[in-house]
Amino acid sequence: MTALQYADVQRGAFLDQLKDLVRIPSISTDPTRTGDMLRAAEWLAADMRRIGLSRVEIMPTAGHPVVYGEWLGAGANAPTVLIYGHYDVQPAVLADGWHSEPFDPVERDGKLYARGSSDDKGQVFAQVKAVESLLTEGRKPAVNLKFLIEGEEEIGSPNLGAFVAQHRDLLKADVCVVSDTGMKDMNQPSICYATRGLMYFELEVVGPSQDLHSGGFGGIVHNPAQVIAEMIAALHAPDGRITVPGFYDAVAELSATERETLRHSAPTEADWKAVSGVSGFWGEAGYELHERVGTRPTLEVNGIVSGFYGAGSKTVLPAKALAKLSCRLVPNQEPRAIFEQVKAYLLSIAPPTVHAEVRLIAEAYPAVMDLHSSAMQAATVAYERGWGRKPIFERGGGTLPILADFQRQLNNLPIILMGFGLSSDGAHGPNESYTIEMFHKGIATAICFYEELAK
Amino acid sequence: MTAASAYAQSNFNRFSDQLKELLCIPSISTLPAHRADVERAAAWIADDMRRIGFHTVEIIPTKWHPVVLGEWMGAGKDAPTVLVYGHYDVQPAEMADGWHTPPFEPTEKDGKIFARGAIDSKSNVMAQLKAAESLIATGTAPCNIKLLFEGDEETTSENMNTFVTAHRERLQADVVAICDGSMSDREQPDLAYGLRGVVCMELEVWGPKQDVHSGHYGGTVHNPIQALAEIITRLHNPDGSVAVPGFYDTVQPLSEEERAELKKALPWIETEWKDVAAAPQQWGESAYNLHERIGARPTLEINGIAGGFAQEGFKTVLPGRALAKISCRLVPDQTSVPIYEKLRDFIASITPPTVRSEFRLLETGEPAVIDRHGAAVQAASAALEMVWGKKPFFVREGGSIPVVVDLQRELKTDMVLLSFGYKGCAAHGPNEHVYLNIWERGIQTMIAFYHNIGAKTQA
Repeated sequence: MTALQYADVQRGAFLDQLKDLVRIPSISTDPTRTGDMLRAAEWLAADMRRIGLSRVEIMPTAGHPVVYGEWLGAGANAPTVLIYGHYDVQPAVLADGWHSEPFDPVERDGKLYARGSSDDKGQVFAQVKAVESLLTEGRKPAVNLKFLIEGEEEIGSPNLGAFVAQHRDLLKADVCVVSDTGMKDMNQPSICYATRGLMYFELEVVGPSQDLHSGGFGGIVHNPAQVIAEMIAALHAPDGRITVPGFYDAVAELSATERETLRHSAPTEADWKAVSGVSGFWGEAGYELHERVGTRPTLEVNGIVSGFYGAGSKTVLPAKALAKLSCRLVPNQEPRAIFEQVKAYLLSIAPPTVHAEVRLIAEAYPAVMDLHSSAMQAATVAYERGWGRKPIFERGGGTLPILADFQRQLNNLPIILMGFGLSSDGAHGPNESYTIEMFHKGIATAICFYEELAK
Repeated sequence: MTAASAYAQSNFNRFSDQLKELLCIPSISTLPAHRADVERAAAWIADDMRRIGFHTVEIIPTKWHPVVLGEWMGAGKDAPTVLVYGHYDVQPAEMADGWHTPPFEPTEKDGKIFARGAIDSKSNVMAQLKAAESLIATGTAPCNIKLLFEGDEETTSENMNTFVTAHRERLQADVVAICDGSMSDREQPDLAYGLRGVVCMELEVWGPKQDVHSGHYGGTVHNPIQALAEIITRLHNPDGSVAVPGFYDTVQPLSEEERAELKKALPWIETEWKDVAAAPQQWGESAYNLHERIGARPTLEINGIAGGFAQEGFKTVLPGRALAKISCRLVPDQTSVPIYEKLRDFIASITPPTVRSEFRLLETGEPAVIDRHGAAVQAASAALEMVWGKKPFFVREGGSIPVVVDLQRELKTDMVLLSFGYKGCAAHGPNEHVYLNIWERGIQTMIAFYHNIGAKTQA
């Protein structure tokens, strides 16, 4: 039996195992979930030992631990692949609009519904199962394999940079594979070769010293909820551009060639509408939808809270208002420099009737990968074998903070984003799902990739 | 000194013991577990009315807590009838909130009684009962007296709207005194004659069909929080005025005479602003002073706003929806529903096509202004001046007392807001208290008020 045949025979078993993994609510953003985080790490480590990796360790960091595993049986002259993924997930509760419990996986219409099913447990687990298929029945793949599965991706990988720097020798590899992205269409494989950076911050506006009666003080105190709305509204111009002075200064414009390459990844407006559910598009004038997502920086309000917002009414004049905002960044924007620009601008427009504060919460650099490396060629062939169709190339809108760290710490090694998710999976939102066929195609493609790489 | 006044003076110690008795009853209307206590307080008041000699005393059930109504008609059908409104229910209170003494064990210290309800509003209720007792016991009551005490004020007086309509005939009077609220100073009396109305609404904005990944969709869909912020921004002009077309159309302008009157109490509002609001700077319509902005000008406030993820940590979500609670304070002759409709139409017109919005009406209350030159206000003003030795300041309050609007609508009679609280007495908070000397002045003021009403009719 070949590795591909083995993977096919094991389809049901692999899926059942994935269900066990997504049952663990490993929410890294929630400090009360430390126990679940460790449980998920231990579950993965146990599976990795079982499939025949020669060394598996749960390695501590200043935050949640890293799961490391290796098989070096191909020998010192064979290429080594470092496979990256993450076992932590975003928060999820039924009340967010889930149709079933987010940590109780449900199969419906060929999809597996659960938090983490696509981002990223389903994808990283597809890699583990590809390696299992390559190793079982005494097979010896022609590449060495190392796994680095972290638990802090959803909080911006704050400790991974230090971990990689500290374990440079252990992680030494010729190519890195990251399975944590999505494609738009299950029938058209695509390779994502760029991710955006992130600068996440919060804006707090404080007015009076305490919540006030809106009858007693309405009309003589500047309402912080109104002020924060006015400040947020001032961050975009009517043409969708960000008004922060200097914001676009470092943005590298697209070449005509790259624009042409990317055109193959453009979604149809109808598809985009169907997936997002909006009635009309919005965004920066002069750029197409896929360019706005992959190649242009943005500024989003991720959340806002102030005063009373329950059922009914309460005539309160709130003392303060808080908004969470974030910028997606593209080369060559620097997260710190963008934070300083945004902060200076917000403080300059804050009226003297309130006190405003801008705080940096997380940062990550954007990354672009070389389209012409030999690893990229191997990936192209692997996708073609796995899907029966040539992949297209695209730039992702999301952020993978580790890419810049890997590039910096590991000799600028080529990185392949081997994403097996779909953009319709609803990552981070309610009813996240993973198309089960994507899981199996992903396993097959990963097997092909490691075979191609050895050639 | 009148006979009633002398009676009140010599019986004051007993009056304060009785006040303490009433304060012992935890008549918390907002907590269903205290329903029996609220009824016990109603029974205590009804018993006292009978002791005083009220001819008709009735505990009238409502869909929630009962109303106590006492009528003394001994002044004869040619004498004027005075209806007094008050409430005997209180806010919750527990030691853990920061009380120094148990909230339902009244404690006298430094000329004050500490207890929940001491200022809001059982001392007002007792001032009414004891003023009536002093007049009736001395046979000098110049008016017929109807005392109406409700048990649902702290749960928004929703019952009173229908109660007042249903009992319109029984409540008929020549003068109505609303006895709840507070004065701003312990030495300088004031009379409130204006209350703003309120209309509570909510605005919801939808973008994508659910929360989506801000990396995957950011930059291509209009963020609902941003769209909501953009709509909210357009509701005010840079000068602080409300930008909704037609919003000010029916606002009564202030006369120079009224502006001069309102200016007297301005230092209080400035002090309160510094002590309580303590924001970095004042804000509002620059053409009006703080008292006028609070009492005589309408406003539009954002009471709350929510959308997406706003807890500790972070989540890179592009939310599917955002919500804002919005309310307007209204002044005569604005009315709540037309103001809501103006806002609704304006918001619909400025909602961009990239999102959907809905603007819903939640609650309404109409504004009220009482004639400062009417007989009831003048009688109260003279009574306050006699007892305090100072002419009262006239003030317009920024908040609402819904029962005032209900009584104005149903009884269409001369009205006055007459209350003997003091703002610094921690109503609704821990260590609520009443100053005994102010409370005694309240009883004396009420006796003088009845005499003034009676004298006016005879003259």
